[in-house]
Amino acid sequence: MKINIYSGNVKSAWYSLRASRVRSFFTMLGVIIGITSVVTVVSLGTGLKHQLSGQINRLGPDVLSVRSGQINASNTSSLTTLSLLGISSITPADVTTLGKVPQLKAVAPFDFVTNTVTKNGTRLGNVFVIGTTPDLASVAKLDPRFGNFLSGDTDSQNVAVLGSSVALKLFNELNPVGESFNVDGQPFTVYGVLPQSPGGLLSVAQTDFNSSVFIPFSTAQRLNAGHADILQVLVKAADSKKVNQAALAAQSALARSHPGASFSVLTQKQLADIANGVINTATKFISAVAGISLLVGGIGIMDVMLVSVSERTREIGLRKAVGATNRQVLNQFMIEGLVLSVGGGIIGILASLLVDLLLKLYTNWQPVLDWPILVVAAIVSVDVGIVFSAVPAIKAAAKNPIEALRSE
Amino acid sequence: MALIQLKELSKIYGFGDATVLALDEVDLVVKRGEFVAIMGPSGCGKTTLLNMIGLLDKPTHGTYLLEGRHASRQRADRLAKLRRDRIGFVFQSYNLLPRLNVLDNVALPLAYKGMSPVRRATKASDILEIVGLRDREYYYPRQLSGGQAQRAAIARALVNNPEILIADEPTGNLDSTDSKVVMELLSDINRRGNTILMVTHNPELTRYAQRVIYMRDGRIVGDEKTRLGEVAKGARRLYYKLRPFSDDEILSGVSALMKRVETKPSSRRNTKKKAKNA
Repeated sequence: MKINIYSGNVKSAWYSLRASRVRSFFTMLGVIIGITSVVTVVSLGTGLKHQLSGQINRLGPDVLSVRSGQINASNTSSLTTLSLLGISSITPADVTTLGKVPQLKAVAPFDFVTNTVTKNGTRLGNVFVIGTTPDLASVAKLDPRFGNFLSGDTDSQNVAVLGSSVALKLFNELNPVGESFNVDGQPFTVYGVLPQSPGGLLSVAQTDFNSSVFIPFSTAQRLNAGHADILQVLVKAADSKKVNQAALAAQSALARSHPGASFSVLTQKQLADIANGVINTATKFISAVAGISLLVGGIGIMDVMLVSVSERTREIGLRKAVGATNRQVLNQFMIEGLVLSVGGGIIGILASLLVDLLLKLYTNWQPVLDWPILVVAAIVSVDVGIVFSAVPAIKAAAKNPIEALRSE
Repeated sequence: MALIQLKELSKIYGFGDATVLALDEVDLVVKRGEFVAIMGPSGCGKTTLLNMIGLLDKPTHGTYLLEGRHASRQRADRLAKLRRDRIGFVFQSYNLLPRLNVLDNVALPLAYKGMSPVRRATKASDILEIVGLRDREYYYPRQLSGGQAQRAAIARALVNNPEILIADEPTGNLDSTDSKVVMELLSDINRRGNTILMVTHNPELTRYAQRVIYMRDGRIVGDEKTRLGEVAKGARRLYYKLRPFSDDEILSGVSALMKRVETKPSSRRNTKKKAKNA
């Protein structure tokens, strides 16, 4: 019996919303935008985390990252993580020290040289020219698509291994092995080209391999004229079951040879935790901003419902005269508000699916739309409807039938 | 047992200096099946009385017994259900919901009863047959003439088989032809056994009533049984008072006050009385 009352209400809500289509749409727009932005932000955050864990799996758990500064992996607040971006105090001597630690079998420094390369006078920015050792191939499991990776033979030579997107942008061809370009005014020969790597917005190594140019460590030191800017050193534990011992050994070796400087040796898991912490904080923050638009959308619904209630005072009076109880009038307007907010929620979810698709098609971000966030979005839109149509509905239900019937 | 019994019913609006005594200790008994017309000048409390009887308003003092039970001391939801099941309303301005078609408008009280949509439509359709609007079921109120709209409103008032039909100037917005149709319909409904209370300003309409109540300043000042088909005596008096001037005078556009100088003393007294009444 109750069901019929409700179905009648949904029908009448539909009629009254359809009667003012434009107004209903703009009322829903706030909720649509709110839901779409929250869902998109969360799916981008989830996508980043997925990329990150993919990279960790790719590098393997036995790879450690040596960085300068005290980084406390258990305290994953964003402030601590910012130190990842600070100026590094790792010196080439430290790299040599790490090479002598018996618990490590591969040492690959990331010596940042410059971020531009030129070819025939054309500059290409946004690249990472990085000096590293041949060990990087085994640490980061790099397997060039064309040519070869750096080896002992290429030491101190002006050769470079290009990331796939650098190769494409610089030479406009897939296989530019043997061609030449300039770094810091010096000519370099392309020695190899890496395959497309599943990097993304953020990578564990803080370097997108696709837009990197790897040159021999010794060449990099020569270019930098002794001033090394080693972002990090990736090392691989000799025994994959004794990763923590290897980390401790590396830590103590560095402390002995380079007193006064502080180093952190982080496992991939710790790095991921730190990065996840940053992503979570950022996601929460942006979601909160997006959530405000949802709040504004809800207030918009309340506004329009209040106007609707006062416009339809006479209708309310008549409905009461023919026997609608206060609760039935309340239900009618609650359901009308709910139709607005849930309608907005559904359109918002569809819009976020579309945004998700467009992001996947036209950007290299990889948003991951999990169903829990869609469920949450649906629940939130219902909640918004309940909360913001409560006041207008209570106002409608409380109207005095005589005064309501007398109103124009 | 009387269907409706009012005992010393009073209604006071406002407070302080702005207090209005809308109903002043009204006593009234209405029996089942009566057709009661209520007449009186504007603001005399006719509509307030109907609102009380229709359970839309609560009295300040006094008791209202509907079928022997205290009706005015119920909770709001109980009153709503009593309105739904016992009382049908017909308004001067029809009050059909513009967004619903005629059928849905008529079925509205049934929806609040929780009847299934199919049964609602069937029942509303049957009632529309009675008022002669079966072929207008899917029209919207704006597509109906005044008389049709009022008949649809009467159908809505009847759909729950209420015992009491309350009509507040049902022909107020209608021309004489439509008025006649609507009044014949109300008369038919009354013959089927429904009790009808109707407020009207038109003395002609007392022809349809069995009883005429005259009100003034919140009190019932006259209660007259009348034969069907005849204009009530009190109403007739009122009828002639409402037309103090001849058609010629109205057409000439000259005020009766200016003509008073030339009239005989007797008629001058009459004019004074009229002025006082107006």
